[in-house]
Amino acid sequence: MLKLFTSLAATAAIALISGSAFAQGYPERSITMVVPFAAGGPTDTVTRLVAESMSKDLGQQIIVENVGGAGGTLGASQVAKADPDGYTLLLHHIGMATSATLYRKLPYDTLNAFEYVGLVTDVPMTIVAKKDFEPTDLKGLVEYVKANADKITLANAGIGAASHLCGMLFMSEIKTPLTTVPYKGTGPAMTDLLGGQVDLMCDQTTNTTKQIKGGTIKAYGVTSAKRLDALPDVPTVAEAGLPGMQVGIWHGIYAPKGTPAEVTQKLSGSLQKALKDPDIIARFAELGTVPSTDAEATPAGLKSKLESEVTRWKPVIEAAGQYAD
Amino acid sequence: MDLLNNLVLGFATAASPYNLLFCFIGVILGTLIGVLPGIGATATIAMLLPITFQLEPVSSLIMLAGIYYGAQYGGSTTAILINMPGESSSAVTAIDGYQMARKGRAGAALSIAAIGSFFAGTVSTILVAVFAPPLTAVALRFGSPEYFSLMIVGLVSSVALAHGSVVKALGMVVLGLLLGLVGTDIYTGTPRFNLGILELSDGLNFVALAVGVFGIAEILRNLENEHDRDVMIKKVTNLWPTRQDWKEMTAPILRGTVIGSALGILPGGGAILASFASYTVEKRISNTPGEFGKGAVAGVAGPESANNAGAQTSFIPMLTLGIPANPVMALMIGAMIIQGIVPGPNVATEQPALFWGIIASMWIGNLMLILLNLPLIGLWVKLLTIPYYMLFPAIIAFCSIGVYSVNSNVFDLYAVAFFGLIGYGLAKLRCEPAPLLLGFVLGPLLEEHLRRAMIMSRGDPMTFLNRPISLGLLLLAAAVLVVVLLPSIRKKRDEVFVED
Amino acid sequence: MGERFRPFFIASNGRGEHMRNLSFSSRDLICGALFIFIGLFFAIQAYGLELGTALRMGPGYFPFVLAGILILLGIIVIIQGTQLQHEPMGPIAWRGMLFILPAPILFGLTVRGLGFVPSLFLTGLVAAFASTKMRPGTALLLVGGLTLFSVIVFSYALGLPFRRFGPWLGQ
Repeated sequence: MLKLFTSLAATAAIALISGSAFAQGYPERSITMVVPFAAGGPTDTVTRLVAESMSKDLGQQIIVENVGGAGGTLGASQVAKADPDGYTLLLHHIGMATSATLYRKLPYDTLNAFEYVGLVTDVPMTIVAKKDFEPTDLKGLVEYVKANADKITLANAGIGAASHLCGMLFMSEIKTPLTTVPYKGTGPAMTDLLGGQVDLMCDQTTNTTKQIKGGTIKAYGVTSAKRLDALPDVPTVAEAGLPGMQVGIWHGIYAPKGTPAEVTQKLSGSLQKALKDPDIIARFAELGTVPSTDAEATPAGLKSKLESEVTRWKPVIEAAGQYAD
Repeated sequence: MDLLNNLVLGFATAASPYNLLFCFIGVILGTLIGVLPGIGATATIAMLLPITFQLEPVSSLIMLAGIYYGAQYGGSTTAILINMPGESSSAVTAIDGYQMARKGRAGAALSIAAIGSFFAGTVSTILVAVFAPPLTAVALRFGSPEYFSLMIVGLVSSVALAHGSVVKALGMVVLGLLLGLVGTDIYTGTPRFNLGILELSDGLNFVALAVGVFGIAEILRNLENEHDRDVMIKKVTNLWPTRQDWKEMTAPILRGTVIGSALGILPGGGAILASFASYTVEKRISNTPGEFGKGAVAGVAGPESANNAGAQTSFIPMLTLGIPANPVMALMIGAMIIQGIVPGPNVATEQPALFWGIIASMWIGNLMLILLNLPLIGLWVKLLTIPYYMLFPAIIAFCSIGVYSVNSNVFDLYAVAFFGLIGYGLAKLRCEPAPLLLGFVLGPLLEEHLRRAMIMSRGDPMTFLNRPISLGLLLLAAAVLVVVLLPSIRKKRDEVFVED
Repeated sequence: MGERFRPFFIASNGRGEHMRNLSFSSRDLICGALFIFIGLFFAIQAYGLELGTALRMGPGYFPFVLAGILILLGIIVIIQGTQLQHEPMGPIAWRGMLFILPAPILFGLTVRGLGFVPSLFLTGLVAAFASTKMRPGTALLLVGGLTLFSVIVFSYALGLPFRRFGPWLGQ
């Protein structure tokens, strides 16, 4: 028994030593960062900005690879299966947490298939309506929506999209089901909102800020804790009486399970440096978001975020009863 | 004169040596990659997107726009030379362009495509400059009922794509519509027809389908009987359009430009219909409709012009609303965001140099393309003199790379092989792939708009008739149905016997 | 069935004049049957989904209607085929299918493991042997050049995220 224990310990020790020896030289070649969405989308944008800055710090190029499909689960499962050597990483958003419930058959175990590097950013959402929509503030909107529930249409960009999640949350917060109108992506949904074909939508600032500033749609609230610099006139949902609507599309970097802790620590440190890059701060501000703090951009920060978000969305999605598979 | 000042600003921006250089690089890269078989504009831009991130915003967008036009030209080139369309639009060009090539008139077909595209590009650039904001307002009046009716017009017209049996062509459209529905129902999230395969939950990949049913099937057909049949071409006769060609192409180019410009403005998939619509119109009003499908000049000139005009005017919703009209525009928006520009209603006023610079560069890009491509035509035609058995391994290799590079997924390559087999089988059964492709592109849109219109009207089907634009389109569809279908049924017996 | 499939190695002029006088077309019969078969497949699958009503359509409604139309068209194709004379189908590219169809799949399966260079080389080589005119020496030369060109264009010039040589080769 003792023999077994010592040999196990020895094996572990060797693994540890070789792990750290391995990590010291890391990275020795280029790193692949998988984005589980198509090139050019908002998540791809975030990834490329961060990857470029982290490449400078690590001294090795980070190649961004788009592995789109199935609401991000294809890319995630590919990384889950990759060698845990630190040369394959994943940048995924809130979908990492929601797909755990949205998909009843996932090819990986969301909470146990990955090591964590850190939280990157949290993009707030805005509750918006067509230009000539009657209510003037969020309180009025809630009353109006409750009174006219059977006439109001709520757009979203498809199952699992940020706008779909936020819409579900909105309906569950005001306890009023509405007629939801799904679109294929944010573009067409925004087109119909601009044209007044649908009434309401809740979407990321990435997609709505310009339209709100241009006065082509009406904004009722942002879902962040503080007002945004980009939209100083739009109140937060908490100010306007719906504190439960605080929600953001957060992005995190993951590595396959078994990646040495030294590697994820090194990557996390590099991420923290990247997030202080003035260029990144400026670009993020244009998207209506801010980089994560040093405490959030750590393995522990991302782990607790993912766990709490899986728990948070489970009842909301189950109540809506819509699944993606 | 605001417009004039704006245009001067635009040309001053676009014609700076630095930007001209990037326009040129974009056009060259786009053409080169687009000419590689199986790689269309979308795949090209997706591949080249990262290399634009290091540039100035204006330069990078000018370069991307150049890649876009270049890839479209290149895509038409492969459609004509080896029957391999990279986009739904060049699927139409392949019908008559490839037949022209087989008759030894590849050079003329390529020149006609280039000239038509340039003319359409010039006219539609002016349209974009003058009418962008008011046209956007018109486009926004299109709701789901209008789009549904528009798609119906497109489907009804698609019968004209057939040059064999009309019933088989209809069958191919319906088959395409069904294939287009494979994936996830966006209304309920229910997976459909995916046989439990996770990779199919976003639907079949267009490039894989197009490469399979057009390209691979064509290679297999050419390999059927290598010993007896000289696979490709008769002797190349002339590189340039003849006097007769000029006469035949002028009117189709003009009509194609109008059709393409109008449809391109619609953000919900209007541009997809441009080349199909033009082909239908040309075949209808032609004195020799029997020539279509056998190398009709109008069947290349019209759709190519419409396609390029539509490509150009599809920038209108992108630039004025920040709304992508097609996957390429979505990529462009992504590139803009990375550059720190969020496209939207304010871009024109906040960044006039960028806005007008892009518009001016559209025209410059088109000019460069025609200057670049006309001399290259001789080279492309020479490619056809390479023995076919040495050409097709390269085609297969490039297709594999192109299809794989979009999603890095093996599954898309299974799909290429599968649809190659299906496409070959269908070709043997004299079923044509172009209607299938149109159905495939329209299927999801048709269903989406139908169901959305019904949701928004609270289940009242009169919504399609109560709205004037929708009603007008449906009446048009009915008229097309009568005009197109009746004579083709009457002529049915004759046509069957003239199959080649 | 009026026709037989001939193996690829039996020479044929591809015209089959002797087959002209069939009373019905096997091509249309197969085509119609194919439409009906595919239509049935989609109809059965769609029926398993929620159909809904015309007013509030479920995911199965639209495909179910389409599948019905396809079956109908298949029947029409068969009926029309019985009344007309058609030329036969001509030879089938068995050898072509045997080599061409697996080639892209081979690329997909090996590009990660072997890396871009060997994977593309193999793919090109397999495809090359689809032609009976291809000799081994020519094939090696051709595919070698093709690989070199692709590596320069895709890997170096465009920087596509492919590893040139993959982990299966001990890299």
